Amino acid sequence: MDLFFMTVTTGIMVGGIYALVALGWVLIYKCSGVLNLAMGEMTLIGAYVSLSFYAMGIPFLLALFFSLIIGLILGVITERIFLDKLIGEPVLTVIMVTVGLSFFFKGIVELIWGTDTRVFSPPVFPIEPIHFGNIIIGRVYLWSFVAAMILLVIFVCFFKYTRWGLAMQATADDEMAALSLGVSARFVYAAAWAIAFMAAGVGGTLLGNINGLNISVGYLGLLVLPAVVLGGLNSVPGAIVGGIAIGILQNLCGAYLDKYFAGGVKEVAPFVFMVIFLLFKPHGLWGWERIERV
Amino acid sequence: MSTTWLPCGVYHQDYKHDQGWWQTKFIKTKMILLFVVLFIVIPVFADSYSLSVCNQIGYTILGALGVQLLIGFCGQITLGHAAFLAVGAYTSTLLILDFPWPKFMMDFGIAYPISILIAAFAAGLWSVLFGLPCARVKGFYLILTTMAAQFITVDFLITGYVSQIGGRGQAFSLPPGTIKVGPWIIDSDIKVYFMMLVLVTGCVIMVANLIRSRIGRAWIAIRDNDISAEVMGINVIKYKFSAFFVAGFIGGIAGAFWISNLAAISPEHFPWFWSLWLVGVILIGGVGSIHGTIFGSIFMVVVMEVLQLTVMGFVDTSWGERLFTDFLFLKEAAFGLAICVFMIFEPKGLAYRWWQMKNYFNLWPFSY
Repeated sequence: MDLFFMTVTTGIMVGGIYALVALGWVLIYKCSGVLNLAMGEMTLIGAYVSLSFYAMGIPFLLALFFSLIIGLILGVITERIFLDKLIGEPVLTVIMVTVGLSFFFKGIVELIWGTDTRVFSPPVFPIEPIHFGNIIIGRVYLWSFVAAMILLVIFVCFFKYTRWGLAMQATADDEMAALSLGVSARFVYAAAWAIAFMAAGVGGTLLGNINGLNISVGYLGLLVLPAVVLGGLNSVPGAIVGGIAIGILQNLCGAYLDKYFAGGVKEVAPFVFMVIFLLFKPHGLWGWERIERV
Repeated sequence: MSTTWLPCGVYHQDYKHDQGWWQTKFIKTKMILLFVVLFIVIPVFADSYSLSVCNQIGYTILGALGVQLLIGFCGQITLGHAAFLAVGAYTSTLLILDFPWPKFMMDFGIAYPISILIAAFAAGLWSVLFGLPCARVKGFYLILTTMAAQFITVDFLITGYVSQIGGRGQAFSLPPGTIKVGPWIIDSDIKVYFMMLVLVTGCVIMVANLIRSRIGRAWIAIRDNDISAEVMGINVIKYKFSAFFVAGFIGGIAGAFWISNLAAISPEHFPWFWSLWLVGVILIGGVGSIHGTIFGSIFMVVVMEVLQLTVMGFVDTSWGERLFTDFLFLKEAAFGLAICVFMIFEPKGLAYRWWQMKNYFNLWPFSY
């Protein structure tokens, strides 16, 4: 039973990071209708940038802050150069541009930083775990979860209470109405990409702290897809719940099913779950069901 | 982008002529010349390197044809086609290596062709299995399920289970001489080239004829608007499944063909990158056009080879050496950039330019 509780807690903690990245994904989809497959590479870039700053001897929080700024700049540039021209194009075109972007980013990251696993040294978080009764949790997980939660709260407050956040909500709700009320859609798109880039960067940095940083951290970007499908593509609470649920599912499968299969269950389980879920509830828990007419 | 205008003075007097593939003498001459070049000039004059590039192009065409059929003609976007290539390749390899073929079949070299056929059917059925969700979902959700097909098939089933069959470890090696078609043992680039030509020609003719049959018209109707297709009495689910089957079938042929060019196959030959590569090929070539598949394949393979040669030219400099060792990454970045640039500046692909060019010459000098 202890194993069960421990896996679930770890799952929730890792799921917090997934939720953060999933939030960025949902934001882009809600505001601009782009289904983004480059999320994983965005996490990679953010993570490598903050690792490089940290390796220069800059304190961790400051390094994270710098990577946020670079994420913001890159997000705006990406949106302006590539996505801005594709508004109103068919789904396949937009998706394939994001796929192209993902390969472009990945190739650049591999060319600059190589494929060896890098670690944050000295370690940012203390190594010795914390005991809650019988449950043992690594400090890295706990702090990552706390950081992810703080950022989630900041983002949600940003949408609810600031002028820019309200403008983004308005565009997501009804683009025409927002435009006619003086909201600049181009600004909103750029802001969505910038925020998604920043969220992805933080998620990547946290994950890099847990297991070390290499190209496979970019796999996170694919894990976001089951999470958002579970929650519904255009639902922010759905992204958070979905991220945490996928984290739990992944850890449970890793703990209980790994001995029955030939390995890789942890990676495949979210996708198997997603296919089955799609068959029964394609619009997710809180997604909008589109009514189609000829 | 459907009709190419015929030159002035060409009239059709019966339906047979109207529906013919090669409608004018000029086109007939052109096509015969093309076949002469493909079957005689290239094999006689090309060196081993250019033949291997041709083989890669052929493999890409075979793989991309299925993707073209699904995306370009039936509108079902797939990002997991390498899984079906892998199923084809592994089925064929396992059949050749482990199936107790009767002696005369091995001697006469019909074992490999039969295994290609079985592999094609296996890949087709596997493709339908992962196409099942298309009965309920479409668009982005279907993309997700086909992606899942890639991860489940290649990264989980093939790496974890199929590769363990026979205790050969990660890679299955094919001993020389096992791949035999009729009296020929496929062991050199030129023999692979001829096999590739036959398979590509056959598959292209098959797909082109399917497209102009009832089935193909139903697929195109589904692509254009699936709801109105259903209203018009097309059994949407049946035709979607059949599209998945044919796409997987061709993918299986491609995979089973490619093992003749590889000394050993392993799951690394069918990564997710390859699935996306195939989609990129048809996007660059032009969606919804068989010409596009061929142009796209030639373009992508040749551009990548030219890129590699350029990098090799700079191998003396320190950055050139680094780029050369990391060429795979450079290739990924170049591929990504190529897709982005084409989607933004040339969304109709190379086939559209070809069509414009043909029309320009056919209608010259009165292009109005």
